[in-house]
Amino acid sequence: MEVKEVKILSAKFDIKNAHKIETAKKHGAYSTLDKLFSMKPEEVIEEVKNSGLRGRGGAGFPAGLKWSFLPKDTGKPIYLTVNSDESEPATFKDRYILVKDPHMMIEGIIICCYAIDCHESFIYIRGEYTSQVEILQEAIDEAYNAGYLGKTVDGHDFKLEVTVHRGAGAYICGEETALLESIEGKKGQPRSKPPFPAVEGLYGCPTIINNVQSIASLPFIMEKGADAYKAYGTEKSAGTHLFGISGHVEKPGMYELPLGLPLLQVIDTVAGGVWKGRALKGVIPGGSSTPVLLPEEAKTATLDYESMAEHKTMFGSGGIVVLDETVDMVELVQNLIAFYHHESCGQCTPCREGLGWMLKITEKILSGEGSMADIDLLRELCDNIEMKTVCVLSAACTMPVRSYLDKFRHEFEAYIQTDPSPHKKQEQASP
Amino acid sequence: MSDRSQLISTGKPFAFDQQRDKEFERLAKRYPIRESMILPSLWLVQEQEGWVSQESIAYIADRIGTFASKVYEAATFYTMYHLHPMGKFHICVCRTLSCWLRGKQEIVDYLKDEVGIVPGQVRDDGKYSLEEVECLGHCGTAPVVQINGKFHENMDVEKLKVLLTTLQ
Amino acid sequence: MSDMVKLFVNGVEVEVEAGKNLIDAVGAVGIEIPHLCYHPALGADGNCRMCLVGIEDGRPPLVPACKTPAQEGMKVLLDAEHIKKIQRDVMELELINHPIDCPVCDQAGECSLQDYYMDYDQRESRMTVAQVNKNKKMDFGCGVVHDQERCVLCGRCVRFCREITKTGELGIINRTDESRVNIFPGRPLENRYAVNVVDLCPVGAMTSSDFRFQQRVWFLKKSPGICHGCSKGCNITIDHNRQKYEDDIIYRLRPRLNQQVNGYFMCDEGRLSYKQQNENRVTQVLIDKSEASINDAIQSCLAKIENSSSPLILVSPNCSLEQLVAIKALADQIDAPISGYSDGYIKAGDGDDYLIQDDKSANRAGLNLLEIDTTKAKFEERLATADLLINFDNDLSLSYSDTELKEMLSDTVIIALSSQKNYLTDLANILIPLAAYSEYAGSLINCDNILQTFDKALSKNAPLDDAAIVAAKLGGPMKNATDIFCELQKLIPALSNTELQNIPAEGLNLNNSEASNVTA
Repeated sequence: MEVKEVKILSAKFDIKNAHKIETAKKHGAYSTLDKLFSMKPEEVIEEVKNSGLRGRGGAGFPAGLKWSFLPKDTGKPIYLTVNSDESEPATFKDRYILVKDPHMMIEGIIICCYAIDCHESFIYIRGEYTSQVEILQEAIDEAYNAGYLGKTVDGHDFKLEVTVHRGAGAYICGEETALLESIEGKKGQPRSKPPFPAVEGLYGCPTIINNVQSIASLPFIMEKGADAYKAYGTEKSAGTHLFGISGHVEKPGMYELPLGLPLLQVIDTVAGGVWKGRALKGVIPGGSSTPVLLPEEAKTATLDYESMAEHKTMFGSGGIVVLDETVDMVELVQNLIAFYHHESCGQCTPCREGLGWMLKITEKILSGEGSMADIDLLRELCDNIEMKTVCVLSAACTMPVRSYLDKFRHEFEAYIQTDPSPHKKQEQASP
Repeated sequence: MSDRSQLISTGKPFAFDQQRDKEFERLAKRYPIRESMILPSLWLVQEQEGWVSQESIAYIADRIGTFASKVYEAATFYTMYHLHPMGKFHICVCRTLSCWLRGKQEIVDYLKDEVGIVPGQVRDDGKYSLEEVECLGHCGTAPVVQINGKFHENMDVEKLKVLLTTLQ
Repeated sequence: MSDMVKLFVNGVEVEVEAGKNLIDAVGAVGIEIPHLCYHPALGADGNCRMCLVGIEDGRPPLVPACKTPAQEGMKVLLDAEHIKKIQRDVMELELINHPIDCPVCDQAGECSLQDYYMDYDQRESRMTVAQVNKNKKMDFGCGVVHDQERCVLCGRCVRFCREITKTGELGIINRTDESRVNIFPGRPLENRYAVNVVDLCPVGAMTSSDFRFQQRVWFLKKSPGICHGCSKGCNITIDHNRQKYEDDIIYRLRPRLNQQVNGYFMCDEGRLSYKQQNENRVTQVLIDKSEASINDAIQSCLAKIENSSSPLILVSPNCSLEQLVAIKALADQIDAPISGYSDGYIKAGDGDDYLIQDDKSANRAGLNLLEIDTTKAKFEERLATADLLINFDNDLSLSYSDTELKEMLSDTVIIALSSQKNYLTDLANILIPLAAYSEYAGSLINCDNILQTFDKALSKNAPLDDAAIVAAKLGGPMKNATDIFCELQKLIPALSNTELQNIPAEGLNLNNSEASNVTA
């Protein structure tokens, strides 16, 4: 496979004013609707299943399969919520869709809602996206005015309301049930599952939650067909992905690439390689919650779900962070834990109490006051906290932290004064 | 996060102005339950006043018909709601991974040492307030600074110096 | 009986109720699964993570027991090493920011965290960094004092106020380890059941300003009882103690589970009504305001009764069924009319649709069962012609003003048999102290026609007679409990084939036709 950008989702990103409906329509927006309404909803689901599209929020769950979990004839409305909370550090792909081509997403919402018989959709957008929410709301207003949303959709007897719901600074609302709680006016605290949202979601009704990029991929699948989508990527990781490359590279940014490309080649050829001619120290492959890869490991990794799993890390959200030789891994771990601690919803004991403890231990090590026992404790806490909670936020912290502790333990040990200075010895000796 | 439980009382009753009042009623129709209006209402308050006071929380609770404790929970859980007045220019510097890797600390140090704005505080003259925030989703153009909601990407101290002179 | 399923706990087969969550299901057969946030009255929340259990061959293999229904064939692991480790690990995380102030904490001795530490952890602390500091001694209103640092954020109190009282005063604010329970400023606890949050709190975060620092709980004797504060008859635990050189007194009342009557809770007024058992008691026999012996007083009463041409007996609606039977027999014996007039005990409109009743007496249904007249008209008519009033603990000052009473009773000789001082005990020609309800055993019929029995809880240094015994001493024919019970059996068909001690713990619902089939 050639290591080079493709333009599927990003086809209109470079077109001036593509966020305006006039321009977007000139370039094909809403052109799939006639075909859509000529199909049966089951056929749409089947097409999406066949495309191999996997949820682009981080978990990678097959999108069509998720839709098919909806119970039939419950007598309750079905809701679609679009997850635009993108908050995982190093992830910034959905923002491009929201501001560069929001009509592609709105068209995707129409496709999804038709497939799942949903007439009310909420877009949950993170509060920090201030100007982005304005552009999105304008696009939705345009779509209403142009008759693509509202009592009918493009003249078809299909009612569809779309409401934008703004978050207000909480990473956890990217977790789908926390997101639902937030729309219901509550703190974003994840729900225990089961029941799963497809059965009991927003307002107790069957609900599908899809990431922006997943939804935005639908118009292409509708227009060109499942096979055309599958032509990109690998067998188990079909299609393209908007990769965000950040950190110590010459050309950080958002790049659309087919899945399955070699990680290091992408860094070198697409993102210009490690900056300032420095050596590579590690790569975070899919957002800050994914375990770090050493340069050695990165050599054989490709950008798809299977390869990342083989390398004991995750594809995640496709947010690649390049770490150069100057990075202090203990400081990095402090930065990471501080983030996840700050974002812990406070619900479950292990995460609420444990992440704060891990942060303080790391700070103690950084201050030179730590001991070898502290490193071991930090490592042990990763195991003690992980997967003991309602959601995976704690694991999003402990999985990467464990990887740094295991792969860069010597850097933590370097902070420990194995031989206390005479001054310290004196202190210890006095009662 | 630091403790956000201390609310500030203005000593005056709060009410939405006419524009927000209309917006509240318009939005309320979009949701099947009233409590969904908690977050949108807090945004309306912040838009109107710049921050969220004790009285405004009570007002929202009564307006929606829910417990003040629930609105209090939301206002303290979601960190973008300002529970005290901010500076005329509220500067958010992203502190998370990619921005940290690309020099956010120099920006914070500059603001602290040269401009006299301490993170988490409002400068005495009320012109600036500074907050180190978690990932703002602009990692590809790090480090990023958000001032009164507007993003400034690929920041460094030199660019910031110029930017600050334009803030009047 | 509900459907039963067989499942395995640690490889041992047990039969439990189908569909119940694992905590309750296996708890019913005596197997404890540790938990802090789950409470049967409030449902499962799942935040404490103490109840994580293994499910062999399960998907997922680790589940919160509070959210997992018991299913046929399920293989639950509690004592596997990896599950015990999880319990220890979660305990450790519960404790890192918890102040280790058990020696001065009011909850010590009845603290789930303390008990679980002893049962599941017992390790040295590994916490070498600063703890999170929060607020202490916060006045939440309604006599509830909160300590945020001791709080484990189980949310029981928050859920109680949202789901049970629907007043929603409490919330958990902030997030992370800065999360804390609080009231919204200026909107403190303001409901009549607020102190239940103290019972619900599994740790010492919620304390009652009335009880805190009064007693170490391990000194308290816990006796079951029935609250006499209103006609609901909430089941209670009477916590009492006799300190050295002191009398046996009550320190607090707590609700006791009865699904048929009060569930897990009681109201705050009822909870504080124990004070009437401790304070303002009549303790001294008085004849014409002079101290006298009980024997002299009885003799004096007998003489007054003998000399009376038209005596009137008044009973309290708080008297037990047994007392009413004995007193009514006395009335028949001396040919005195009997009244149970007590409108003053009824506070119209005060009740709610939960536990609190308008009628602040415990056994008005008993009065009705014995066909004792309670009308004002009859009482006043009889009083007008009576030359002697024998009052069994009916606080008439609730029904009349002092001036009215003085006027009404100006020509009447008063024998007051009373547990509490009131205006009438001041007027009495003969005053004989009575035992309060915590000092005798008896039975009551509540507002829902449920018959409940209660035992004697306290043993006073100088025990007082209860109204039934005094009635016998005054010449009543019901001399012992057997006589009285025979009479009760006649009155209540449901008791005809049984003994009082055989009635169900939840009480005997007299509306229920099956009740008549209760047997030994």
